[in-house]
Amino acid sequence: MRTPRLCAAALLVGASAARGEPPSFTLEIREHLFYPAELVIPADTKVRLIVINRDPTPEEFESYELNREKVIMGGAQAVIFLGPLPPGTYPFFGEFNPKTAQGSVRVEP
Amino acid sequence: MLDAVILVLREVLEAALLVSLLLALGSQLQLRWRWWRVAIPLGLATSWVLSHSAYAVAEAFDGTGQELLNAGLYGTAILCFIALTTLLVPTLRSSGAPHRLNARLLHACFVLIVACSMAREGSEIWIYFSSFQNAPAALSSALMGGLIGAGIGLSLCALVYYAFAFLPRRIFLGVFFVLAALVVGGLAMQLAKQGLQTGVLDSGRPVWDSSMLVSERSWFGQLLHALFGYDANPDMTQMIFYSGALAAMAIAAGFRFVSRGTRHA
Repeated sequence: MRTPRLCAAALLVGASAARGEPPSFTLEIREHLFYPAELVIPADTKVRLIVINRDPTPEEFESYELNREKVIMGGAQAVIFLGPLPPGTYPFFGEFNPKTAQGSVRVEP
Repeated sequence: MLDAVILVLREVLEAALLVSLLLALGSQLQLRWRWWRVAIPLGLATSWVLSHSAYAVAEAFDGTGQELLNAGLYGTAILCFIALTTLLVPTLRSSGAPHRLNARLLHACFVLIVACSMAREGSEIWIYFSSFQNAPAALSSALMGGLIGAGIGLSLCALVYYAFAFLPRRIFLGVFFVLAALVVGGLAMQLAKQGLQTGVLDSGRPVWDSSMLVSERSWFGQLLHALFGYDANPDMTQMIFYSGALAAMAIAAGFRFVSRGTRHA
């Protein structure tokens, strides 16, 4: 994968977890690529995924495995709730730029 | 260009399959009013307005506007399908055209179902093409792809229409009830998905995983998804919505069937 693999756990907003709200994770779209390309989230936990589209063009976050799809307009951001999920790897892609916009959510116990 | 072919085909397929199924139903019931002359422009216009309000819709209701709007469109289509099957019950016993009032209600259901589907799927197509507004070369290639995708989708639907329009009426109505039940179940699963995505409903573990059998990535999986909302790994909440919608449909149609039977006795 061309994009850097970042440990998404670092992006976990700890404060929200402490309040009992679902932990938040952030995903960015830049030049039709997802950053990080692999997002690590905890198993059996409902999480809040914030997708920020830094491109001027719209994108659709889509995943058959996660069962989610949402259009994110250019320069806008969207919130998508995921899980609780069993451990595994769940690919996602940008439907408007499927050749480049590819990534996955790795759910770890 | 291939991306545009696939994207437009996926979006066009659902609405177009519904149009052909309902056109075949209208033809079988000898309905004369050309409802599609209202439904298609209404669907196109609504999808255009929605795509141009996409920012406002997305930001509404704490960022859940898109899902709420989709849920409303799915919900309306489900209710119309339930009304439609209930209105069809008397036609199982007669061979003529439905009563004038029933025909009007049927037409209203046809228009709403098609307009809701076109609004939802069409707005995504407009948004997709808007991303090429500053790249004329890419836009013309995408438009060409879009035309091919739409052409494939519409050809498939013409086949579906002719296959159904010339079936004997009794057989067609039997097939229609089964297809309507599958469509309603699929719409209910999509409705549940909107709640899961916004966190209003809790996702559970997938009840099963049939992706090895029919992958949602395959063309057959895409076709099943477009028509029946096929999901390779649905969760329990979606299954509850699926069963609930089918139960509502069966109760409504069953109640009408029994009440008509009593009146005839």
